[in-house]
Amino acid sequence: MASKAVKNLSRRSFLKFVGGTAGLVGISLNLTGCGDPATADEAIGGNGWMPTQYNAPGNWPTNVRGRVPIDPANPAIVRDDQKCILCGQCIEVCERIQSVFGNYELPIKKDFVCVNCGQCIQWCPSGAISERDDVNKVFKALADPNVTVVVQTAPATRIGLGEEFGMPVGTNVQGKQVAALRKLGFDVVFDTNFTADLTIMEEGTELVKRVTGELHHPIPQMTSCCPGWVKFVEYFYPELIPNLSSAKSPQQMEGALIKTYFAEKKEVDPKKIFSVSIMPCTAKKFECQRPEMNSASKELNDSNVSPDVDVVLTTRELARMIKRAGIDFASLPEEEYDKLMGTGTGAGVIFGTTGGVMEAAVRSAYFLITGQQPPAALWNLTPVRGMQGVKEAAVNIPGVGDVKVAVISGLANARKVMDQMKAGNAPWAFMEIMACPGGCEYGGGQPRASSPPSDEDRNRRAASLYNIDAKAKLRNSHDNPEIKQIYADFLTAPMSEKAEELLHTHYVSRADDFIPKKSEDKKIF
Amino acid sequence: MAKGVLVDIPKCIGCESCSVACKLWNELEWDEQEKCKTAEDRAKEPNNGLWPEEWTSINRFDLEKDGESVARYVKTQCMHCEDPACVSSCFSKAFQKLPEGPVIYDQSLCVGCRYCMMACPFDVLRYEWKKAIPGVRKCQMCATRVANNQETACTSVCPTGAITFGEREELLAEAKKRIKENGYVDRVFGEKEAGGTSWLYISDTPFEKMRFRTDVTTQPLPSYTEGYMKATPFVGVGWAAILAGLYVYNNKGKEPLD
Repeated sequence: MASKAVKNLSRRSFLKFVGGTAGLVGISLNLTGCGDPATADEAIGGNGWMPTQYNAPGNWPTNVRGRVPIDPANPAIVRDDQKCILCGQCIEVCERIQSVFGNYELPIKKDFVCVNCGQCIQWCPSGAISERDDVNKVFKALADPNVTVVVQTAPATRIGLGEEFGMPVGTNVQGKQVAALRKLGFDVVFDTNFTADLTIMEEGTELVKRVTGELHHPIPQMTSCCPGWVKFVEYFYPELIPNLSSAKSPQQMEGALIKTYFAEKKEVDPKKIFSVSIMPCTAKKFECQRPEMNSASKELNDSNVSPDVDVVLTTRELARMIKRAGIDFASLPEEEYDKLMGTGTGAGVIFGTTGGVMEAAVRSAYFLITGQQPPAALWNLTPVRGMQGVKEAAVNIPGVGDVKVAVISGLANARKVMDQMKAGNAPWAFMEIMACPGGCEYGGGQPRASSPPSDEDRNRRAASLYNIDAKAKLRNSHDNPEIKQIYADFLTAPMSEKAEELLHTHYVSRADDFIPKKSEDKKIF
Repeated sequence: MAKGVLVDIPKCIGCESCSVACKLWNELEWDEQEKCKTAEDRAKEPNNGLWPEEWTSINRFDLEKDGESVARYVKTQCMHCEDPACVSSCFSKAFQKLPEGPVIYDQSLCVGCRYCMMACPFDVLRYEWKKAIPGVRKCQMCATRVANNQETACTSVCPTGAITFGEREELLAEAKKRIKENGYVDRVFGEKEAGGTSWLYISDTPFEKMRFRTDVTTQPLPSYTEGYMKATPFVGVGWAAILAGLYVYNNKGKEPLD
């Protein structure tokens, strides 16, 4: 009996059973539609997370939607999609604070409208948006013994860098910053405060020439230190380009002089100079790549000389370099900048905050017009200090009378004033405009404060800059001995032919890059 | 009743919020290689940037328009046909067209034959070749959200209104209105293509230059085979009955399993 059971379960009989009875039943059931059809709940996916504002029933409009577009080729700003939580903060700042996003008609033409100001970086709560990292380019140059790496540091980085190492907001780390740069291997450390002073001389002279009618350019003169602001004018107000000062920004002046003046004085081959700048700004990364910013190469008539500034690093990137090199920042000694282009005045250092350029300019304009030192009241020009978006002041200069000036920070504020200007209502002689609210001290390249962007942090950083100015031995740009030296030895005089060549630039209209807004009341697309 | 999405191509600014929203809601994995690709790269890929973990993607096309070179961004994903070929080709009923519009896929019913991929006229289905137990992946049109009266994840985050969620019939009327107002190409892609789709596209630049399958039939694809495929169950069951009868007749009087 047992042997018969084994025989009955042969392979052949088993397959006959499966292929015949079971298969027939299975196929019949399937073809006649038995079994549960798929329902929405069984579908793959769909169990994830979305920010609450997007979980409204139906297609209800929400206050904030999505995020700003960022060109993969943007020289200043990059985004990590994996970190993006679609909170919409970048749109909030870009559209409402900077009035860039949404201030054009759709469709877009070719490129995204972006002034590279980097405020979206400061507002992004998840760290998805950040500066384009150029640290490796600098490390490579530092490792090359044939290259002289010259670095300049902007006024505002000295009061920001400390925050990356746990110091209180606004701590002045000027000396430690110089020490850290030397330790990283930079051959020469210069201060952009020097060219901030030089900017005052050039821009101040230009202003005086405009006012006296010697230069046929319209008044008010507008500052051109801020590359985000300059690009904003080129995009949205090309008809006001003649109002922009032709003076380059301090960074580009220093860059041009490093490859000409410094190279000549110290007998270094300009082709072997690698010029780095440490900036509180992402727009500077765009600025240094502008085709106009190639003066040294033009001046020396040598196409092998690289652009005036080779690489711009933000304050955050410098902090990363210091951390990567394993330098204990807090215990560094205080060191001094190198001579030749490393001395700045109190007027130069306050370039780092809104109102600072104006205050510095007023001090030197007083000197340029009257030939006398400015009174002490001009060393504390309170109407242009503080975090209001638009500030006005009238400065009495003997022989000229009351000079009206305006200080603006934040591009949405600037847009309002520019519209007013276009309507013919501009009683000012000189206007300082900074793209970022609060000026460079809260620029797109500064350390991300532990709190969201606030005027409290801006005020603390600004107070630190004003404190440096108050304690400075020299508080007027025109008193800077190195400025006197460079005009005596190299540039002859402000706005001389050589100064025009190296320190002044021109601008291009970018109005054709997009379709202008047809009506103002339709704010969102 | 049936929902749809209208894609207004000239309104897209290429911010890719939609593809990030898709990743978040559907918990799709991030691939380092995919992450580094730009919309321009994806437009040149044979599969329009769609992968098992990329259910939607933005493709950038550089085109000529009125003598000017312009960039246009196109969102790709499942079109959610009104009468989907994938559903009709799936004998295990893993695909289903919901009355609200979404064409959904349930992996627990899938046998992995990939007939659906052959059937799809827009080539949007992706097979998980790298997995031990693979399935087919595609946009589900956020079926659970739509069933809960919410709009799809991608449309809910679009900052410019380039993608709008709503009733398909209303969107179709809106699309025709926008074509007239803005001087777009006189065609709503998805109105009739493959018998109509839930997703509708309008554009001011020619569709064929942005890798749309403009030569696709306007007949619903299952209608080509419906006539004779309907008879399949009867033929199957009938044929089986005949064979079973023959078997019984031939083996009369024999011992079973002998």
